[in-house]
Amino acid sequence: MSRGAAFTALLTAALAVVLTFLALPLVAIFLDVGPGRLVASLDDQGSVEALVLSLRVTLVALAVIVALGTPTAWLLATRSFRGRTLAITLVELPLVVPPAVAGIGLLAALGPRGLLGPALDRAGVELVFQTAGVVVALVFVASPFYIRQALAAFTALDPTVIEASRTLGAGDARTFARVGLPGARAGLVAGGALAWGRALGEFGATLVFAGSLGGVTQTAPLAIYGRFADDFTGALALSAVLVAVSGAILLAVKPAGGGRVLGDARA
Amino acid sequence: MLALDARARLGDFDLDAALAVPGGECLALVGPSGAGKSTLLRVAAGLLRPQYGVVRCGDQLWLDTAGGVDLPPDRRRVGFLFQDYALFGHLSAWRNVAYGLAGSGRAERRRRAHELLERFDLLDRADARPATLSGGERQRVALARALARDPAVLLLDEPLSALDASTRSRASRELLELIGTARVPTVVVTHDFEQAALLADRIAVLASGAIVQTGTASELAARPRSAFVADLTGAVVLLGTAGRDGDLTRVDLEGGGSVASTDEATGPVAATVHPWEVTLEREAARHEDSARNRLGVEVTSVTTVGNRVRVGLLGPQPMAAELTGAAAAGLALAPGVRAVAVFKATATRLVNR
Amino acid sequence: MKTRPAAAATALALLVGGAAGCGANDNGGAGSKPRLTVSAATSLKRAFTAYGGDFRSAQARFSFAGSDELAAQIRQGVRPDVFAAANTKLPDQLHREGLVGRPVVFAGNRLVLAVPAHGARVRSLADLAPHGIKLAVGAPGVPVGSYTREVLGRLPAGESKAILANVRSNEPDVAGVVGKLGQGAADAGFVYVTDVVATRGRVRSIELPKALQPDVRYGAAVVRGAKQPTQARAFVRGLRGGQGQKALLRAGFEPAPK
Repeated sequence: MSRGAAFTALLTAALAVVLTFLALPLVAIFLDVGPGRLVASLDDQGSVEALVLSLRVTLVALAVIVALGTPTAWLLATRSFRGRTLAITLVELPLVVPPAVAGIGLLAALGPRGLLGPALDRAGVELVFQTAGVVVALVFVASPFYIRQALAAFTALDPTVIEASRTLGAGDARTFARVGLPGARAGLVAGGALAWGRALGEFGATLVFAGSLGGVTQTAPLAIYGRFADDFTGALALSAVLVAVSGAILLAVKPAGGGRVLGDARA
Repeated sequence: MLALDARARLGDFDLDAALAVPGGECLALVGPSGAGKSTLLRVAAGLLRPQYGVVRCGDQLWLDTAGGVDLPPDRRRVGFLFQDYALFGHLSAWRNVAYGLAGSGRAERRRRAHELLERFDLLDRADARPATLSGGERQRVALARALARDPAVLLLDEPLSALDASTRSRASRELLELIGTARVPTVVVTHDFEQAALLADRIAVLASGAIVQTGTASELAARPRSAFVADLTGAVVLLGTAGRDGDLTRVDLEGGGSVASTDEATGPVAATVHPWEVTLEREAARHEDSARNRLGVEVTSVTTVGNRVRVGLLGPQPMAAELTGAAAAGLALAPGVRAVAVFKATATRLVNR
Repeated sequence: MKTRPAAAATALALLVGGAAGCGANDNGGAGSKPRLTVSAATSLKRAFTAYGGDFRSAQARFSFAGSDELAAQIRQGVRPDVFAAANTKLPDQLHREGLVGRPVVFAGNRLVLAVPAHGARVRSLADLAPHGIKLAVGAPGVPVGSYTREVLGRLPAGESKAILANVRSNEPDVAGVVGKLGQGAADAGFVYVTDVVATRGRVRSIELPKALQPDVRYGAAVVRGAKQPTQARAFVRGLRGGQGQKALLRAGFEPAPK
């Protein structure tokens, strides 16, 4: 076997292993229980409630993340200032923090006994055991996914195009809106999809910080976990739906994202 | 009048330059890449803040680092043409041009943008995206866009360099006309002396962050103040050591041979002569004339430029001669042919190195 | 240049081999202790970890979680050596399903009403009824959650309903309830007295009237198909009368019934 063919074989083998490893649990979910029983298990109050709650909180969290994260990423991408590197590291920190630790941190910061507890209490804001608390936990764990992508997308913009906008009389705000956002659109959409997927699957921080109560804080992942012990089929069904929704989100975003092959012509 | 004075750190050396361009005049900044030409342009536009700088446009103070004045680019009325045009890829041609038009209503902006595009003969491409336009079309859209706001100064960064040779000549003529009608101070940055000579009223030669000479194209070519400027203007440059020889100066050339000059100089010098003052003779013909410089050369290239022929030569050092087509043909010049380059001592300039 | 691919391949092989070795069943060579895997209810954590340190015949490794989750894992084919739950219902079920041997009761516990140590709004069961009290309990399927509902079911219907309406979270195991109490996030919760002891003062317990106290009995069984059946049986024996029982009593559990 020539060197080139051997290397290609190695690459192919690696890809096969990775694909199998990643796909097997997901395929098993769908195959273990037939589709008929799956659908039947879904038709129960608790499951629907959990799914609806999941969609509600993740969409609200995504809106918050995009609203706050986009200007943040623009600032980090276009201005240099002292502490910029530190700021970027802080923004990425939740990525490496285990979800349960994130939940504990949120409790320590925003819980009744936390740093801001008294202030929140005076303002009449209740987070623990509330749906709002779930949104807070989701924003915390998922925002780095969006901000990193947005930052990369803005950084990849041609700096002369930004400069051109400025020389044509557009201030920073107009440049951001009319050149920055359209130029970075693909990256922003991809980042939003990643953040949404992460939020949909969030478990540890939600459980620790907001608790688990049907209709209020029990999102789909929490419901799956609660169901696992005495209604395995129900857990499977809900898992299948969650996997399907997440997969659909990722696929929907694919065209906007790219997928250019390096050194295109030769396959 | 655009007045600029700036000092900045530029990698290996410091930029320290000042220039003043009256309204209606075009100044070209010429020099090798990295000399600081684009930097000066960016300082004028407000895209770069130098360590020290003052920029004045008319009676408006745009930059005064000492006094804490630094108007952002969007508050300066500049028309900036970027080297790669920097068009907005997601907008059509007319929207690109309309980008700088603020204030007026949408219909008015549209009308003005189309008006400008028509002036640049691009009306039929008004709705096209930059990606579908040719290089020359993109250059014209970028120009139209820069002019849309009726800028107070025009700053053009290598306006012709990205164009292919055939488009360039047409673009040069259009650009020249545009600069003429704009009537605002214009600064053109280019690495090509011939482009500068064509477009500008005055040329400033920039090398390693400093302006080494300013003047019209002919002044620079006729009286270069250094070997660098001479080389830039396309003169033949011969390096050697000078000493008196009667009432002439004799220069012993590196690589062998010597030439005489009516200029006075001693020590290490560069002897320069214009290619069009160099005649070529076949080796057979011999004249004895101490007032004429004669160097044995070999032809390395023969290039036709319009009705002239530029002949690349290799003597003790590289040289060039410019002949009419007829003369070149008569001499049957071709690479490898041996000849003698002849030029007068009075046409040989000396500059100290 | 030629050695590079070879070196990489060797490294890869070592990595894969090492990973495979980790999962392999190592009863060890002569001289190294066999490994015993124990799935145990969260409330047993302190006591079992101490017992494991004293257990001679094997190196005990523990997996603590809600008893119902551990039972579900066994149903799905996970094979620990020992299953110890916070009730007898789950081990009995698994025994009936042929998944574990005959369960034995090895300890008792008391359900208590727990409140944060400082600034508690609740001082008795009756204080749980008013609207606005934040109550954390275990999920219905986990033993501590079902004991809680047993207690509440013994109250007058009106009071019981009001208290249940104040439940703000159904935690998957008792650790979640304790955690919320410790952080002052919940006003009160139902946990085992042993859990309160383990918080070392952050959480206070309020005893429940004897009439309401559920019969909390912990059952353990050797899992069928266990890799270390002998050691597993020894472990369970130790729970009823031995180092295990001592550790349980030290942690505040009630002794195994005779």
